[in-house]
Amino acid sequence: MDYTIETQDLTKQYGNLVAVNKLNIKVQHNTIHGFLGPNGAGKSTTIKILIGLLKATSGSATVLGKKVQLDDADSRLRIGYMPELPRFPKHLKGAELLDIYGRMYGMNPVELKEQISKLIELVGLKGRENDLIGKYSKGMQQRIGIAQALLTNPELVILDEPSMGLDPVGMVEVRELIKAISKDGMTVLVSSHLLFEVEQICSHVTIINRGQALVSDTLENVSHKISGPVSIQVEIVNLNQKVISSLKELPFVKEITQKNATLNINLNTREEVREKISQTITSSGGIIVSMSMKGHGLEDIFLELIKSQGAKK
Amino acid sequence: MSETKVSWMKRFWAVVRYEMLWNIRKKMFIGALIFAFIFATLNIALPAALGVSENPYFTVTFSVGSFVFVLFAIVTGAYCISGEYEKGTIIPLLTKPVSRTMVFLGKLFAIFIVILATYGVIYTYTIIGGLLVYGPQNSLHLVPLALLGDILSTFIWVGVVIVAGTISKNSLLAILTTLGLFVALLFGTSIVGQLSDNPGPLNYIPGSGASGTMNVMTGQNITISTVTINTFAATTTGTDSIGVNLIKATLYPDANVNFYYTDIQNLINPNSTEPPRLLYSESITLIAVRSAVFALLYTEILFVAALFVFKRWEISE
Ligand SMILES: Nc1ncnc2c1ncn2[C@@H]1O[C@H](COP(=O)(O)OP(=O)(O)OP(=O)(O)O)[C@@H](O)[C@H]1O
Ligand SMILES: [Mg+2]
Repeated sequence: MDYTIETQDLTKQYGNLVAVNKLNIKVQHNTIHGFLGPNGAGKSTTIKILIGLLKATSGSATVLGKKVQLDDADSRLRIGYMPELPRFPKHLKGAELLDIYGRMYGMNPVELKEQISKLIELVGLKGRENDLIGKYSKGMQQRIGIAQALLTNPELVILDEPSMGLDPVGMVEVRELIKAISKDGMTVLVSSHLLFEVEQICSHVTIINRGQALVSDTLENVSHKISGPVSIQVEIVNLNQKVISSLKELPFVKEITQKNATLNINLNTREEVREKISQTITSSGGIIVSMSMKGHGLEDIFLELIKSQGAKK
Repeated sequence: MSETKVSWMKRFWAVVRYEMLWNIRKKMFIGALIFAFIFATLNIALPAALGVSENPYFTVTFSVGSFVFVLFAIVTGAYCISGEYEKGTIIPLLTKPVSRTMVFLGKLFAIFIVILATYGVIYTYTIIGGLLVYGPQNSLHLVPLALLGDILSTFIWVGVVIVAGTISKNSLLAILTTLGLFVALLFGTSIVGQLSDNPGPLNYIPGSGASGTMNVMTGQNITISTVTINTFAATTTGTDSIGVNLIKATLYPDANVNFYYTDIQNLINPNSTEPPRLLYSESITLIAVRSAVFALLYTEILFVAALFVFKRWEISE
């Protein structure tokens, strides 16, 4: 199968620091792929290699079927890219910037004009398109940054932390926008360190830390396969010390906390153990009124993964 | 959208527009323009103040002047690549479907247009000023040669400042390097020109070059204390004077320029009787063509070097 983006042992070193370490990622056609990792994980460095700003120290990357090189203008005809905290020439007006960039893609002026007013509207800059970018706020620069990445309706859109600096409404708008463009058939690679954001829009996710991919799969599989242990909440009538001590003897119980009549039981397994727990409680004289189970969100997986990687080193 | 062929020219023009808009909106540029106009005005007014009332060759012997060359080179060139790096605007630019060569050439072309337009306006101003102050002007059809020469002279400095900028990725350092080189050459060549009895090597260094006197005295004499200079005959051979020399060579292709050794004592002591010693003579045509060729050569070497470095830049911030 062909991928929109595929890297093979991609490595980038800055002197002694290994920013990207034998990274292998695959981004499928027409998916929204979240690229997650903490600060300094190597997300932006990877993206800069993919777009041809940096040269890999070793390994290689293929984007839209072409090997990535440092100065390959033609392959960028099919890619829209929004840099992390983008900065645009202050002396240009918003609409002027889009017009000039659009001409760099060889767009014809009529088509371009239409596209610009559409995008200005879409990113919420209507009424400000004829102001100098030097007078834009941080969030407005971010918005024009998104607009310029979508100018040509490219096959692949790479967004490096698009919601950084946006207000909550702006963040929601950007998520909606990404979902919308994906419906139009674009492939989106979006980096973020905000997990809930990725959870909401992405179909696939790669989690990266210290330049290495910890996991790369569909969002569903990631949650399933490696999500950490779950916890169970049980409300018990007639709760006594015997119930707690016999529960603690179970091999899959890690930790128990009590709050009034409710026990929160942390497990060290993902297997189905509710039956055994219920039996144990009943045989110790407790009466179960309610029981619920909480799976862990991506957030916990993320922290867990990073912690376990840290422990290995 | 499929990968369609998008013409090189279309993308190139987009870069040219990008750079032109930047140049003409720079405050620095407006400042340099004002300075150039003050300089041109002084050029028109000063000889008049010294008693010259007619000079039909005023316009064709006018040049915007070496400091203005450096000034416009810095204003248009100093930030054009390293400045984009410093501001971070190079990232969105270089991730568009434009190659680095395209960006480089587009920027140079924009600088060329901006300088051409600027000098065009300044020359129009001096033609009008010349007509008003010094009466009818000869050979005005040769003014484009002066324009061409001044642009060549300026582009050497554009090359210097861009090379310094791409190597250091630091615009301020590029400006200081350029100004330093300019000042060093200015003083260096004038000292060597005065003291040496072999000013020939100066012909091959950017700057004013060697000073001589052409054997055609159609210009106006200006006397400042003991020294009399004929505005047409006084000739410098360097890359700063390409325009004027091209015009002189077109008007008098067979004329020669004589180079003298003047003892410093003669300049200081007006009663000195020792005559200047003739060192050698050269054809004005040779001088003009040689300086133009060397200017082109320097410019080309500098630009090729800058492009070589720029193409290898890794943009990591
Ligand atoms: N120009 C550079 N020179 C040296 N080291 C660098 C450079 N750029 C990045 N690094 C290092 O490379 C590592 C990866 O940085 P990168 O910017 O790719 O992280 P990131 O995942 O994008 O983080 P963030 O979420 O903060 O944007 C970091 O340790 C960083 O310090
Ligand atoms: Mg980053």
